[in-house]
Amino acid sequence: MTALDEKRDAPLARPAPHKMSWAWLGVMPFFLFAFLFLIYPSSTIVVRSFQDSVTHGFTLKNILALFDNHYILGAYWISIEISLLTSVGGGIFGFLLAYAAIRGGLPSFMRSSLMTFCGVASNFAGVPLAFAFIALLSPTGLLISWLRALGYNPYFHGFTLYTFWGLSIVYMYFQFPLMVLIIAPAIDGLRREWLEASENLGASSFQYWRYVALPILLPSIMGTMILLFGNSFGAFATAQALTGGQINLVTIVIGSQLRGDALGDPGLGYAMALGMVVVMALAITGYTVLQRRTERWLR
Amino acid sequence: MTHLTLSNICKQFAGTTAVEDFNLEVEKGEFVSFLGPSGCGKTTTLRMIAGFEVPTTGKVTIDDTDITYQAPNQRNVGMVFQAYALFPNMTVAQNIGYGLRIRKESKTAIKERVTEMLALIHLEKKGNSYPHQLSGGQQQRVALARALAIRPQVLLLDEPLSALDAKIRVSLRAEIRAIQKKLGITAIYVTHDQEEALSISDRIVVMYEGRIEQVGTPFEIYNFPQTAFVASFVGTLNTAPAEVVDPAKHLLKIDGVQLESAEMLEDKHAGDKVTIAIRPERFNFIAQERKANILDCQIENITFLGSVVRIQLLIGSNRFYMDTFNNPFLELPKIGDKAQITCSREAVLVLKA
Repeated sequence: MTALDEKRDAPLARPAPHKMSWAWLGVMPFFLFAFLFLIYPSSTIVVRSFQDSVTHGFTLKNILALFDNHYILGAYWISIEISLLTSVGGGIFGFLLAYAAIRGGLPSFMRSSLMTFCGVASNFAGVPLAFAFIALLSPTGLLISWLRALGYNPYFHGFTLYTFWGLSIVYMYFQFPLMVLIIAPAIDGLRREWLEASENLGASSFQYWRYVALPILLPSIMGTMILLFGNSFGAFATAQALTGGQINLVTIVIGSQLRGDALGDPGLGYAMALGMVVVMALAITGYTVLQRRTERWLR
Repeated sequence: MTHLTLSNICKQFAGTTAVEDFNLEVEKGEFVSFLGPSGCGKTTTLRMIAGFEVPTTGKVTIDDTDITYQAPNQRNVGMVFQAYALFPNMTVAQNIGYGLRIRKESKTAIKERVTEMLALIHLEKKGNSYPHQLSGGQQQRVALARALAIRPQVLLLDEPLSALDAKIRVSLRAEIRAIQKKLGITAIYVTHDQEEALSISDRIVVMYEGRIEQVGTPFEIYNFPQTAFVASFVGTLNTAPAEVVDPAKHLLKIDGVQLESAEMLEDKHAGDKVTIAIRPERFNFIAQERKANILDCQIENITFLGSVVRIQLLIGSNRFYMDTFNNPFLELPKIGDKAQITCSREAVLVLKA
């Protein structure tokens, strides 16, 4: 025995015996929820997309029909158009609003009021939102009635709430608040010293935005717009309640396929849903990649 | 020749005076530090030179050109920020070349200047790195190179080392000083670290509550503080209330003990109350017979500070500190011992009210 061993009064460190942590119990409801409402439905969509509706055998017919059917392709195209329009429009408007509230020198209560409103408005969708806009902008809506009383009826000038443009306005209502909420931390991360350093080196405000601020914020703006795209692409209840299925969106077509209408084809519905899952997955991946890039810069 | 002049500068923010009646003339190639505690107005003054703040009253001139109301991007002044402020979306080379790119210099000229600057800060191989891939010290060197690349008339440094660890701070401050001397550029350096200011500056402006307390060389500031604030802020200083005994003979009294000072006391009268100050290192234990400045004291505590031993003493009712160099053969009294210490008449400073 060496002197060192004699002096040691604590046992040698050894790995603690492996014990099951009770902490797992706390997160079990989350995993259960994720399984029941995300993994199980997604897996079902994948499986049934490749399943014949009658024989239940493996088939590529449903997937191929997506690219073969003009009605289906049209639905995807309208969904993409409305999603692009509302994500870019809502994104730009939301960004300008957030920038004005955070960096525009407005009183601080404006920021908290805007954030509270955006928190509520970004979650105000579906049937209540459709009803709110019908109450406001339908031919007998409040605003239209007022305008009519003033001698101007928008419906005589081509405006209709129940069309592509009307639906786009309704979608914008929940799109721009979401942009404000997500872009606000990125704008907060824009440091005042960058503007001062840029000015100190001789740059104008325009040059600062062109070379410094916009390149720094762009991944975040683009990422959030991708998220808005996905948000709009997956919307169903608002469009269904507002237009009653008149606008041929992917989500509405899927609904009619799965509901088992006379012309319904559940296999095709599942294939369309798989297409949506792919689009959403791409959107989330794009958002994550761009968001990570911004976080690295704004750290 | 005066290069930078600040005349009667005042700055108020919503009724609060941040800087008051600030006057300073800086020579070309001089390194001047603004030293003071947080909120004393040093950064505000620096920002007025940079153009980020406009003085409420007063004038800023560079080479006799009034720049008081010039926009920051119209002044040829380089600034290094406390938190580096490097553009995260640009490489090191792009950051350094940014000011030249804005000035629409040719690509060849930008490349040459960037290479020159990278060599100056010894980061030749980091041109293609991004700021987040560099250490704090490297980032601050890049910030310095970026500010120097535009060949500014004046270089401003706003606490550039405060975010770095102690060891890097010491080496980088020496590097900053060497680069400033090499380029012969006029520099204004803001710091709250007295050691940093003393080691790096040609002159120090000590500020307190928006006013200049004292301007002088590091030697003057340390050895001859003119106000109680400078005395307390720069280095460790023993201060005590004293009474003038005989102004002609420079005699003072603290707690009944007579002290002789070298300071002129013509404007004082016998019985006047003053504050005296003595640096801890100016005290010695009495080794031989002395007639003046003999102070009886009691040892209260002894602290080893590495190269220095700090002894806490009680002289009358006043607590003083005495510093002595540490060496293995040093014979120190014990805590509670009574002893006699002394200091030269030059060590006894009389502070302005």
